Amino acid sequence: MKTKINELATLPNRLGILNMTRLRMLVLGLVVLAALAGCARLPTPEVREDVSSATSTEDGAAANVIRIGAAVSETGKYSREGRDTRQGYGTWLEWVNNEYGGIDVAGKRYQVELVMYDDEGDPDTVARLVEHLISEDRVDFLLGPYSSSLTQSASAISEKYDKIMVEGNGASESLFERGFRNLFAVLTPAGNYTQSALKMLAEQGAKSVAIAYEDTAFPTSVAEGAQRWAETYGLEVLGVETYPRDVADVSGIMAKFKEAEPDVFVGGGHFNDAILFIRSAKELDFNPKAMVITVGPSNPKLVQEVGADAEYVIGPTQWEASMGYADEHFGTAAEYAARYEARWGEPPTYQAAESTATALALHLAIEAAGALDTDSVRTALLDMDIVTFYGPINFDDTGKNASKPMGAIQVQDGEILVVAPGHAAVSELRYPAPAWKDR
Amino acid sequence: MMARVWDRLARLGQGWGGLGLWWLLLAVLALYPYIGVTHLTLFLGSQVFVLVILASNWNLIGGMTGYVDFGHAVFFGIGAYVMGILVTKSPLLISPEWGFLQALPVSGAAAAVFALLIGLPTLRLKGPYFSIAMLGTFVAMREIVRVLRPLTGGGVGLNLPPVLNRLGDYYLMLVLMGLVVSVMWWIRRSEFGQSLIAIREDEIGAEMRGINTTLHKILAFMIAAFFTGVVGGFWAWQNTFIDPDVVFIETRTVEMVMMSMLGGLGTVWGPPLGAVVIYVLQTVVWGRLFGIHLLALGILMVLLVLFLPEGILGMSGRGGSTSLGRLLGRIRKRAEP
Amino acid sequence: MDQVLQALVNGLLLGGFYAVMVLGFSIIWGVMGIINLAHGEYLMIGAYLGWGLFRYFGMDPFAALLLILPLMFLFGYVLQYVLINRIVERPHLMSLLITFGISIALANLFKILFTSDPRNVSVAYNGSVELLGITFPIVKSIIFGVALLAMLGLHLFLQRSRMGKSIRAAAQNRTAARIVGVDINRTYAVTAGICIAITAAAGAMLSPTQAIFPFMGPPLTLKAYTITALGGLGRIPGALMGGVVLGVTETMVSRFVPGIGTNLGVAISFVILVLILILRPQGLLGGLRPVDPDAE
Repeated sequence: MKTKINELATLPNRLGILNMTRLRMLVLGLVVLAALAGCARLPTPEVREDVSSATSTEDGAAANVIRIGAAVSETGKYSREGRDTRQGYGTWLEWVNNEYGGIDVAGKRYQVELVMYDDEGDPDTVARLVEHLISEDRVDFLLGPYSSSLTQSASAISEKYDKIMVEGNGASESLFERGFRNLFAVLTPAGNYTQSALKMLAEQGAKSVAIAYEDTAFPTSVAEGAQRWAETYGLEVLGVETYPRDVADVSGIMAKFKEAEPDVFVGGGHFNDAILFIRSAKELDFNPKAMVITVGPSNPKLVQEVGADAEYVIGPTQWEASMGYADEHFGTAAEYAARYEARWGEPPTYQAAESTATALALHLAIEAAGALDTDSVRTALLDMDIVTFYGPINFDDTGKNASKPMGAIQVQDGEILVVAPGHAAVSELRYPAPAWKDR
Repeated sequence: MMARVWDRLARLGQGWGGLGLWWLLLAVLALYPYIGVTHLTLFLGSQVFVLVILASNWNLIGGMTGYVDFGHAVFFGIGAYVMGILVTKSPLLISPEWGFLQALPVSGAAAAVFALLIGLPTLRLKGPYFSIAMLGTFVAMREIVRVLRPLTGGGVGLNLPPVLNRLGDYYLMLVLMGLVVSVMWWIRRSEFGQSLIAIREDEIGAEMRGINTTLHKILAFMIAAFFTGVVGGFWAWQNTFIDPDVVFIETRTVEMVMMSMLGGLGTVWGPPLGAVVIYVLQTVVWGRLFGIHLLALGILMVLLVLFLPEGILGMSGRGGSTSLGRLLGRIRKRAEP
Repeated sequence: MDQVLQALVNGLLLGGFYAVMVLGFSIIWGVMGIINLAHGEYLMIGAYLGWGLFRYFGMDPFAALLLILPLMFLFGYVLQYVLINRIVERPHLMSLLITFGISIALANLFKILFTSDPRNVSVAYNGSVELLGITFPIVKSIIFGVALLAMLGLHLFLQRSRMGKSIRAAAQNRTAARIVGVDINRTYAVTAGICIAITAAAGAMLSPTQAIFPFMGPPLTLKAYTITALGGLGRIPGALMGGVVLGVTETMVSRFVPGIGTNLGVAISFVILVLILILRPQGLLGGLRPVDPDAE
């Protein structure tokens, strides 16, 4: 023991920590620290705290412009969805400036300037860009980035500077559990994703459900919601399984569920997982009467990649062009889709539609407020109760759009057709799905 | 001629002059906010400081000691999660605004303790075995954090209160960066640092000369982990949101390796220089290259290995002023007939 | 009992795939002492080739192997000759870094070429057959068969052919091999060609069973490392053993642990990796020789 202590005592010496030069340095370090302490008495440097927008502070030519900022992925893992989001914002921008004649604020028309940057799908970059938009570009309002996780990072900054951010691409419920006052989302929150589908399936006689979901924010919200709705509609939950992001094999889950024999399988995750679920179910001869998969079925690419095996798969959808919603600005959902396709050369995904609706909601709130300051617009957003081509928009106290029901689609003969809710449906649900062997 | 200037500069960098210049630079950076800045500049500043700290720390274990850590971001992640858990779940913190200053050293300490626990077995491994063991540790940790849902929030992650103070962040990271680089400078000159380099060059030989290699390696590893953990905790606070996928991200380790390599492995001033160069490239140049910047990064890495293995600060004419350069020179000479 | 047997079969089939996907990694390491961090990207390229040939030329992914093998042999040969041979004799850090750079560059190149949309090949026979109360997925069973064939073929090549003997000589002692007149550069290039071709073939066989996307590589590289650590370096039976052990473990854990089984299954392979390295750095069966740049 004694030697141990001795060893420890000489340790600094053996490591060469203590000798004259080091002592001198130590003294020098202390001097520097003292100098730093002196510095602390200096006045705090002045940072340009004023982030009020260019519009309200400058006069002259710029005064008739409202500046709106957004950081949206052009590259990185969300490049595909980011493009839809950009095009959705762009659709609104061109319409509001060219056709509508600018936002009407208390009788005065304002053109809109939209400043967009590429966030590369990276939280550090999105934070930097939102900071840039607010403190350098002096935007009046912000639109959201793509994905829940980036919205988490971005909205913390807009909240800090007391800027309104309206978003349409972050459905995770944890976004709205932070008590933020300036974050609003037009899309149906993740918890309600499976509501329409489960309700309809329960009406068709389904009795039980098994749920598998990716262990990340958005699918977790979806799965928790699915359990809630299953209970509401009297479906027995036979099993709940999680799997990690970018999983390559879900046969363990499917084998378990095959044993449990649920009527309905609910899979929550991303596009890759949709492919995996369908492939594994067929390989293991797991035959639920309906498969509800959250992301994937509403995208024509799934049918393209998976082929006939995608048949009968049900998926929730935020929006489809065949839905029966309409407003006085973009007309019906179908008219919006036609306009979008004419401009961008491809039909709108629901990510595109919800982005346009996001910008439209902000626009209508500014007009209702008749002012550009954050407080007035926030009040107008909270009071908002309208129907758009995208569906009803009515924000609750936390900023979620609580009034919009989720739709459901089913792949039927290679086509993606809306089967719920009733007023938007264009086709009957096909239930139950035949076993893999009988197809 | 160039080589001589370069050598003189290198000697200056290792001497007190280097430290003096560094402190002068720090003083300038400390006074910088007084000439009128925006929140954005402060934020950019703190992001660069973070990168300098990360690169310097990676260099301590990867460059000076020669243990190429391919999972160093695991300490960043642990720091971030300790911060997240303390801020959201612990009743001990004094206030939301200042509590994080209390949690910051804890983040670092947790990372250092983890470095001790994982380092004892893994630092016995040689060469690539260590690299892959750390990479495995990193990935395993990500999955473990995901499974520990009650504590870590699982895949949903944790939300921290959004109390952003860009000016405070700037000074905090400035001080930490000043400290970290000064520590690296001191280590490089000290016997401790000489021993680390001896271990890198020839571990068995170092052992025979009476250097307690295990103790030295563990200490270096813990120092590197400590500061990385502190920065992780800071990042969690600044980003206000953490989940396993944004915190345990491979790119972060890649960046540390790239910055150290570009600047010069095993040098004191190389990694900070590399960090600044890469940050500027990333924000100024690659931002305009529309999506090919990662492709460019990969190609740059290949080219670096082929043509500039000793980094910017190792470019002197004869065999390199860095020890790794000399090592490489020796091997190259031996390879020639 | 049936469930255990079924899980065992699923694990075995997965293990067969693991074995063929790890071969190239294990042999490159064994012969050249290079840990190839771009391994997963070669699988990814193979998967995209399988997908592309199916999508644009209607070729069955297994038939496409006949095209993919020579193509990727050429790719591997050139890559080795132009890039890797230049750093083979340099310190380890360099080969780790260069293969890491290649992996980042390839993944992002494919993202630019094909976007990050996941792809999949839909073959008509992707169902299952039931035998003795056990469900056999057809595609995975074929992969298992092809894997065994590939391993047998490679084994014969290494044991019987002249080139195979050169490769084994170079693996045992580079300097000695050089003295007896083995052209090391060419031998290495052929080795890399064969290894990358087999790896890409494994990737192509993956294309009907799961989603393929540009960033699928790194987890596969890590898995390859784990299996090599389990089964030993450059040994074909070892690769099979390691693959099967990992496949069965993963399947069993994800099948029988409720709730978080699949999460644990993924975590477990990395925990195994770290544990093996710590407890038995020489590999489970030995044979992981410590590669030391100064050893020669």
